[in-house]
Amino acid sequence: MDIDELTNLIKTHGKALYGFCYRLAGNKEDADDLYQETFLKAIELIHKMDTNQNPKGFLISIAIRLRKNNRRKFAWRQRIAPTAELNEAVDKASLPETEATPENVVLSLELRDTIQAAADRLEDKLKIPLYMHYTAEMSIEEIASVLSIPPGTVKSRLFKARRNMKKLLEVEST
Amino acid sequence: MNDSEKWDRMLKQALASGVEPEEKLNQGIINHAKERNSMKRVHKKRISVGVLVAVLTLVMSVTAIAATQFFSSKQVAVHLGEQILAKAFESSDAIEVNQSVASGDYKFTLHGIVSGAGLKELNSSSPANEIHPDRTYAVVSIARQDGSPMPNTSDPAYGEEPFFISPFIKGLKPWQVNIFTMKGGYSETVLDGIQYRLIECDGVEMFADRGVYLAISSGSPFYNSDAFAYNESTGEVSAKSDYDGAAVLLDLPLDKAKADPVKAEAYLQELLKEPAASTNADPAEAELVKQIEDLKKRLADGKVLPESVKEVTYDKEGRINYEYNDWNVKLSPEMLFAEGQTGFSDAVQFSESDGHYLGLQFHKDEKGVITGRVIDLE
Repeated sequence: MDIDELTNLIKTHGKALYGFCYRLAGNKEDADDLYQETFLKAIELIHKMDTNQNPKGFLISIAIRLRKNNRRKFAWRQRIAPTAELNEAVDKASLPETEATPENVVLSLELRDTIQAAADRLEDKLKIPLYMHYTAEMSIEEIASVLSIPPGTVKSRLFKARRNMKKLLEVEST
Repeated sequence: MNDSEKWDRMLKQALASGVEPEEKLNQGIINHAKERNSMKRVHKKRISVGVLVAVLTLVMSVTAIAATQFFSSKQVAVHLGEQILAKAFESSDAIEVNQSVASGDYKFTLHGIVSGAGLKELNSSSPANEIHPDRTYAVVSIARQDGSPMPNTSDPAYGEEPFFISPFIKGLKPWQVNIFTMKGGYSETVLDGIQYRLIECDGVEMFADRGVYLAISSGSPFYNSDAFAYNESTGEVSAKSDYDGAAVLLDLPLDKAKADPVKAEAYLQELLKEPAASTNADPAEAELVKQIEDLKKRLADGKVLPESVKEVTYDKEGRINYEYNDWNVKLSPEMLFAEGQTGFSDAVQFSESDGHYLGLQFHKDEKGVITGRVIDLE
């Protein structure tokens, strides 16, 4: 990959990828790491990517694999990373003032945090498609192709993710 | 708005990402790429399991002569930036092996291996460079028999010949218990024309009483049943002499006193248990498992849709491809059939709409032909 191609890739998909990494990693430091490692790996594997097809899916799939392999490292780090810092970061990050559309206003800050925490507590099998869909804004078809599972399974995992989150939220609000 | 739409919207809002990578992070990646483009030698390459190395078919004429002097395990670890591991290879837990064996066009050398509780102390300060006392690390080198150098990691020819290097445990099926299933990975570097690979995976010392092999084969980065044979009755693994490529097995000289059969048994139970069983802790998951079991029972009375019975096609990666109406399934055949298994797959995929269920099942005949079929569960 030449530098122009890379710059372009970062420009087009960097934000979606970073958002995804951030949700998965749960803190800025690990998100930065995962994001960077994903691009570096992508450079190595660029010949495997069909740029016309689905570069975002390609990047996300690398991030998922890297994170799986680095689980121990991240798990260890997460234990020492203070959660307060995470919450603060999320608050700041997810509420840019300029984007206060009516829709954003509907969801209270508190509820947003609660939903994020509930999502974070899901097992990977459900969490990953959830973030792919809602954070990285990938379609069911795209997710299916990246995870090599049928679209029906993606749908059922999203459905289960929602159901499990709902249960978690119900428990918390009682 | 119904409940599902409401949730959909809520999740979209809550999980949408407002965060962006900092400019300096992006710039760092670009700089790194620029550096990499100009880098020549001692290039650290960290390869994650499941991710394959670049394969470019560029024929290079090679004139340099490989040096015969090997680097030690410690030096290799230093080159790979694993300072703590380098120290570990000097510790009392390390075993210097330096055993070589030739196969195919290559000479493989197991340099050293280290694992054990002693590693813990070395872990003291630097979290970025941590090593795990419950993991095993080993350094293996690959050299060409004819003395020509292995391609540098910056060379497009690097990785053209993939290697699989993994521990096998005597008495355990190597396709079930190997570096990939034992959460392994490796780093590689090429020094003076010799390729060094530092492998790591969950600790194998606990299996010392059973006997542990180090298996090496060329031609594929994964376990390859053409290269190795497993004898079910004796539990012995052997390298197949008729394999078209390199295939060798070395005995790992582990200290039998460090075997821990109880821990090993617990580890294997965890490793070998069916994925479905592992999710029983989650009631929603358990409910789904039960639902699927119930649906499976209904398969026998279901009606096979004749036009859906189709032989699958294969893609470049060897995955099977089945398409029928809305079904578009791509998956690796190992997920459906165990080695040598014929008949219907245990795994069935269901789809539901308005309480009407369809199931997709695969069948493999004696000749290995796989067909898919959709069954209507009236």
